[in-house]
Amino acid sequence: MTPAERVGAVLSGGIPDRRPFACTLSLYGARLSGADTLDYYSKPGVFVAGQRAVVDLCSPDILFGPFALALEAEGYGSTLERFPDSPPSLKKPAVKAPRDTQVPRPQPGTDPNLRYLVDSVRALVADQDGKRLVAAVITAPCDLPILLLGMENWLEVLLFEPELAVYWSALALDHFEALASAYFSAGASFLVSPVMMTSPAFMNPELAERMIIPHIRKAFSRLKGPIVFHHGGNRLAPYIGMVRDLPNVVGFALDERDSFAEARVVVGPETLLLGNLSGPHFSRRTVESITEKTRSLLLERKDDRKFILATSNADIPWDTDPNVLVALRRTVEDGV
Amino acid sequence: MELIDRLFQCIMDARREDAKTLMVKAIAEMGYETALVSVLSPTLHLIGERWAADRISLAQGFVAGKVAEDFVTLGADHWSSLSSSTMGSRQSGRIAVIGNVEDDYHALGRSMVVSFLRLKGWEVHDLGCDVLAKEFVDQALSVGACVIGASAMMLTTARNITSIRKELDSRNLQGRIKLAVGGAVFNMRPELVAEVGGEGTAPSALLVPDLFERLRLLVTGHIGGHAVGQVAGPTQGLGALR
Repeated sequence: MTPAERVGAVLSGGIPDRRPFACTLSLYGARLSGADTLDYYSKPGVFVAGQRAVVDLCSPDILFGPFALALEAEGYGSTLERFPDSPPSLKKPAVKAPRDTQVPRPQPGTDPNLRYLVDSVRALVADQDGKRLVAAVITAPCDLPILLLGMENWLEVLLFEPELAVYWSALALDHFEALASAYFSAGASFLVSPVMMTSPAFMNPELAERMIIPHIRKAFSRLKGPIVFHHGGNRLAPYIGMVRDLPNVVGFALDERDSFAEARVVVGPETLLLGNLSGPHFSRRTVESITEKTRSLLLERKDDRKFILATSNADIPWDTDPNVLVALRRTVEDGV
Repeated sequence: MELIDRLFQCIMDARREDAKTLMVKAIAEMGYETALVSVLSPTLHLIGERWAADRISLAQGFVAGKVAEDFVTLGADHWSSLSSSTMGSRQSGRIAVIGNVEDDYHALGRSMVVSFLRLKGWEVHDLGCDVLAKEFVDQALSVGACVIGASAMMLTTARNITSIRKELDSRNLQGRIKLAVGGAVFNMRPELVAEVGGEGTAPSALLVPDLFERLRLLVTGHIGGHAVGQVAGPTQGLGALR
């Protein structure tokens, strides 16, 4: 089976030749290919060369477009910081006061960052030529205002300024719809969206159901393809019932602290679950520890037809030992 | 007790205006000081307990900060009379300068800390985001602060706190001004507090007044020791954002 066939088998309820796996190696491609991260996060060709190196090293069954959510915000006026060994991150939000609504409206066809994100996915899809699925990573519509206003302003608006909340939510919805559409047109098989504001760590369920979920439902209903709901750095299983029925959601990526069994009971046997080896912890893993952890997870989920082994949370760090990734691949290939 | 329950529920439901109405009523009925001691403080204590157990959301913590801020505003007359009395913050030395360090713009935790400090009678000079080390120290000297609270969310910006430490040391202010540090990164990496020259941190905005009080007592010589360490408790630190 090719990687794409393997993942397709899981999605369609068939039997793959082995368990498929996916790793958040968006950043790591830069290290493997020796690329300068400034180039890597601005030139699609450099990004694709990095992902080729990822395939050569550990041959994951799914590849991801750039995992650099902050890039979506720069066109609105947010300031980013660039690092030699990690993705760009938000330094300063675009807007100081939420009432300053006159912000630029970057479009995927013209904004340099958005064009880079979409063209990287397009180039990666062409490079893989159907052998592997390519997923595009996109900021959740309820989270984009964090990058534009800052968390404090966004909470203030959501909780106490309903008219402004409508304005910024509509802006985020337009952004999400346009970028998602561009990703699908570029050949993305599905989207992955880390979602923070639905988590009880940020918003208690009563408030989330009232203020956030309707907004996400609207955004997801406009998608022209499937989306994976990513845990966004917080536990997802305890509240997965609240987001289980969102439109176009093909699966859920769980946090490393989540219980698959708990999530499975809520979502039923036919929903795809991905996870949950913590990506950011890979730099502290040894070959032995990753082998053991991967085997244990494969064993636990061996009867779960709708499970893809994946890393959770953010990118696998720059200083991760490549042998750890090779060990992960070998363990999955050996099976349990 | 009923008032506490109702105020608690208002915070849980993010009903800030209802909370304000309740506080106005409580102040009218029992006076500002009693409302603070008998209603708001016990309510915030309950919030703190939930915070410690990870049972409230960031949004609810944010609302608690706003309610505290509203209470301080409602008592403007009280605070101004207090500041002219012998118990005022200036006389007690409860003066602090607070801000997000150079290159840090994550203001949420800082603004919550300001609310809780003011509620405990601190005179707080909030310098905002992206504050240079020299500005922290100049302002602290100018207002007679005994504590500088420096907030940073990420490792990269947290390292800028070392400049404040150097600025304090180069002016021989170690004994006069203590440096409190906070932010999500310090909750994840407690060893960073000493690494950047901090003298204490708190894992929750609600616990920052306790930390500042300990640091103030170090300055006044009422307790010995060099570092206060970490005040045990909930998960949201000085300037923290998960």
